[in-house]
Amino acid sequence: MTAARATPRIPVEERLFSLVLALLASENGLTKVDILSTVQGYRQRYLVDGVTPGLERQFERDKDDIRELGVPLETIEAPDDPGNNQNLRYRIPRGDYELPADISFSPEETTLLNLAAMVWREGSLSGESRRALMKLRSLGVIADEPMLGYAPHIRVRDAAFEPLTGALEKRLVVRFGYLKPGETHARTRTVAPIALIQHQGRWLLHGFDQDADGTRNFLLRRILTPVQITKQQFEPFSADATDAALADLERLWSERTAVVAVEPATDAATRLHKRRGTVTDEAGRLLLHYTDVNLFADELAGFGPEVLVVSPPELRDAVRSRLERTATDHG
Amino acid sequence: MADHRAQDKLAFLLSLVPYLVDHDRVSVAEVAAHFGVPQSQIRDAVRLIGVSGIPGETAQYQHGDLFDINWDDFELNDQIVLTNRVAIDDSPRFSAREAAALIAGLQYLSALPEHADRAAVASLMAKLSRGASAVPSSLTVEATATDGTLALIRESVSTGVQIEFCYRSAQGEAQSRRVDPLRIESFDADWYLRGWDHLRQGVRTFRLDRISEPVITTEPITFRAQDVTLPETLFEGSPEDLLVTIDVVPSAAPLLADYIPAGAVTTEIGGLFRTTIRVSHYHGLKRLLASMSGMATVVEPAEARTAVAEWAAAGAARYR
Repeated sequence: MTAARATPRIPVEERLFSLVLALLASENGLTKVDILSTVQGYRQRYLVDGVTPGLERQFERDKDDIRELGVPLETIEAPDDPGNNQNLRYRIPRGDYELPADISFSPEETTLLNLAAMVWREGSLSGESRRALMKLRSLGVIADEPMLGYAPHIRVRDAAFEPLTGALEKRLVVRFGYLKPGETHARTRTVAPIALIQHQGRWLLHGFDQDADGTRNFLLRRILTPVQITKQQFEPFSADATDAALADLERLWSERTAVVAVEPATDAATRLHKRRGTVTDEAGRLLLHYTDVNLFADELAGFGPEVLVVSPPELRDAVRSRLERTATDHG
Repeated sequence: MADHRAQDKLAFLLSLVPYLVDHDRVSVAEVAAHFGVPQSQIRDAVRLIGVSGIPGETAQYQHGDLFDINWDDFELNDQIVLTNRVAIDDSPRFSAREAAALIAGLQYLSALPEHADRAAVASLMAKLSRGASAVPSSLTVEATATDGTLALIRESVSTGVQIEFCYRSAQGEAQSRRVDPLRIESFDADWYLRGWDHLRQGVRTFRLDRISEPVITTEPITFRAQDVTLPETLFEGSPEDLLVTIDVVPSAAPLLADYIPAGAVTTEIGGLFRTTIRVSHYHGLKRLLASMSGMATVVEPAEARTAVAEWAAAGAARYR
């Protein structure tokens, strides 16, 4: 065989696939030189030019792309030569790569997972949900057709969502300008992200605010600058941290009760009556729960004269001032 | 920047191999239908798998170190038979993000009648966590559709009878409607029923939280989901729609995305975005704008400004 100068074009997916196969098959792992000199897609370039910075960069990018798919590509140091990068070995341990043998999904479960994946069709998790479905289908289970068509959507239109999911996964501290209601300027916050939560249709970041030295919730919509991801990594929060945040939101929601008089036979009467947890008192007024006074004031102001907030005073004032401002702005 | 197309293709190859391992002989058409991809994509993937493998002892990709298929059966009959396989036996684990997306999706949908068995859904979430290659990142979506309307709608479809309910439109008038349910759609916390409306003799969209007193009737359904082609977009434009110019603060602009028609021009004036939104009537507009106080203002037409101003002023007057 002659080492032709014109290297054959190997498609990217063929190179990535060959790398995964080679690393899965190797018990003890392969060194970088082993990989570059023998694996399909690298060896063609290696034969011509040897190890070049370009080829090494290619390998680095490929490792990242493969790991992003959930493939556990490990690096092991040589026990007799720690710290020597040339002797690092790479491998994919089969047990961490394969779905555990005792995990299977029934047709009903597959139907639920199909629906769950559907909700992310738009936005930055659409690729993840598509790939999760491919992996699910590889198990060969055929889903039951749901009786009724569903087209559920979760939206991730806030620009902060994508960088925050990345920071959350890599456990990196973020910095962003945040406009708190009632303040006129965005203030820079430095936060270790704990969870992204969609609550009442809005995305919140629950995180540890380093300046406030405590956990806080940030509405993504009020993040006014691009999210800056620092190099500072933080220790993982306990698995209960997210549950605690949710329990906190739920507690706030049940504690905060507004008394609202609604005009009968109006849009407000129908819709507010159907909100979760709504109770009608003897006087026919609605008792409504909420978590954030500003967000709830926005919602209630939309009902215009159909709604009169009786209490609490801060909500009453917030709705009144919103309506007055809207009237003035359009006068 | 990750090459997502190559990543998708790799994920597909890693998913296809275990499926083929489990099926002794399977047609390209059947595999394409199962994975929901074009047949050409299956053929391309099989051709690649058929020549792939590991460097092996000799580092030369010898015959026994490669996958092999029955090429004649493949080329002549469009059937796939793996005759040699290397390295891969089983399906790959989910990535942490994939598992997180599915778990959050399940949480969001937990009000669906299909999710009635809570214990089963909890065990499904636990399986996803265990089947991920790293701890799924914390992504949580609150379930929002809560009342029994969804269960009744599903019953209407499964028993094949129309559902009847009282529907109050944004204009405020209430009407009794009889509907053949076709599809449930949702956007975050907002849930909608699309169905054949027997009163209007056409497909209509209803907000679930505007539906009251739903009951199952005895009248049989005329249309089922498969009989009707529903337009992809929930908010369809109509020639009678009104166009309104508004100024909006940039951070609130995503809230209006559904109302901005394709091809609308957005300009920046003094730190605000000026753009056009499309509404079917000013009743919807006044409610929308009153819920965005300080964030958005109507520029023109004048009647639209007046409609919003009167609505807000009437609301404010209640506090005097």
